[in-house]
Amino acid sequence: MVSEDQKRSPRNQKYPATEGNGQSQNLNDAVFSPRFKSAAAMAGWDEEALLLASLVVEDTPDRDFKHKKRSVLNSKTPPTNSRRKRRAQSSPESIRVAVLDLDEEDTPRKDSGKKTKEKKATVNEESKEGGKESGVAALPCIDKLRDELSCAICLEICFEPSTTPCGHSFCKKCLRSAADKCGKKCPKCRQLIGNGRSCTVNTVLWNTIQLLFPQEVEARKAAGAINSRQQSKCLSPEAAFYNNLRNGESTTTRGGVSTRRSSGRAAAITDQEARRLQGVRSRRGITPATQTEDAAIALRLQREEFMQAFRGTQEQHHSSRSSSVDLARENLRAMASRAMSLRIRDRRF
Amino acid sequence: MKTSSGGAGGGRPSSSSAPTYSWAPTTSVSASGKRIHREMVELNNDPPPHCSAGPKGDNLYHWIATIIGPPGTAYQGGIFFLDIIFPSDYPFNPPQVVFKTRIYHCNVGTDGHVSLGMLKDGWSPALTITKVLTAIRSLLTNPDPYNAVVPGIAHLYLENKAKHDLVAGEWTARFAK
Repeated sequence: MVSEDQKRSPRNQKYPATEGNGQSQNLNDAVFSPRFKSAAAMAGWDEEALLLASLVVEDTPDRDFKHKKRSVLNSKTPPTNSRRKRRAQSSPESIRVAVLDLDEEDTPRKDSGKKTKEKKATVNEESKEGGKESGVAALPCIDKLRDELSCAICLEICFEPSTTPCGHSFCKKCLRSAADKCGKKCPKCRQLIGNGRSCTVNTVLWNTIQLLFPQEVEARKAAGAINSRQQSKCLSPEAAFYNNLRNGESTTTRGGVSTRRSSGRAAAITDQEARRLQGVRSRRGITPATQTEDAAIALRLQREEFMQAFRGTQEQHHSSRSSSVDLARENLRAMASRAMSLRIRDRRF
Repeated sequence: MKTSSGGAGGGRPSSSSAPTYSWAPTTSVSASGKRIHREMVELNNDPPPHCSAGPKGDNLYHWIATIIGPPGTAYQGGIFFLDIIFPSDYPFNPPQVVFKTRIYHCNVGTDGHVSLGMLKDGWSPALTITKVLTAIRSLLTNPDPYNAVVPGIAHLYLENKAKHDLVAGEWTARFAK
């Protein structure tokens, strides 16, 4: 067959170059399949690099081999191994030429082979390879995967999926609130679900999702952080105040680039502020600053800075506005002191 | 009859009373809001046959839906409007579905409330508005006289279906066309 010859050809050209180490070659015959070796030859890896690679991937399932092979077939740079790269660069020119010749006729055939292999593989394996490889968007079945891997409750990609005994997966949080509010039944098939099982994350699925949809997962993580803050807001007015401050902190830092430019005067003011607060604390005999208080102060510093910057830009055009900024600052100060006194009162009772 | 949906997810239940809230991120919507928004997008992308639904105004929690009477039934040719009100803890509680168009049906009360197991105890958070509308439409095709809210109509349906269909057709012509 033509394809067989094509596959062998790089090896034939390669072996004369590496004939010196026949021993390792024998060893390789036992370790690697001919297909893998031909692919490796195409990439210009010599026997030593192959052996080294075999040591590295020895204990991993063969999906890694597949991955490596495929990344070679796609004529990308081999996985980030500086040594391999160096070898590939230093390999004789004749091999390079052979690779180029092969690529034209051979890649379409191998691509189709790859596709059938992918179909055979389970969804998990497939998706993992997809994530590791080039773009997730390159996967033709990404839309179906998105449907499959989304939670039926929130309709988004499962976040920390938890699998019921009946085999359905939902976000851990979604499943827990469903069990709380709608009874301990699977939302999909209404089978009874146990209590303990619903709290464990299906790690394989979760890792798969993280590999496949990194952006969605990141967005969800960020949203989760904000939500948890907002939920804790409702605890008490005092907590709400500090949480508010912290919420503000997260947003003001976004505009931090412009704030950085503000003069050192703001810093001086805020330093004073901090010291004043410290003084207040010590005068009233309050226990040392807690984390929330520190965060609040840090935020105030930032906010002052922001105000300063804001005023700096506004003053050039509308000097009248500065009074309103002052007003806002006074308001802030008043609020802070009110919160402090609230806190103190709480402590006393 | 889609009302202007246009991705206007204005339904933010979280209040913003304190002045410092102006710094709070405005992108975060409650879980129910997110889910409803997602359902809206999916409904627009892939609408179920002979049904449509969308927010009534800028309130994401109040939708209006239409069901076109299934052909071959007494409701054929009628356009039935429904109001859908989502609870704040949707999808953990079922939405409230009310017929705004009068309909002669043993499972729809005189006030328009639909008695459907799916919208009561049979609710599951995995159900969506698409599925609810499909279920209501199939209820038009196959009324369930044994779980009726209007016993008179159920009796007539069981004893004299031809007459039942005649009356239902009259009602459809009168109210739904």
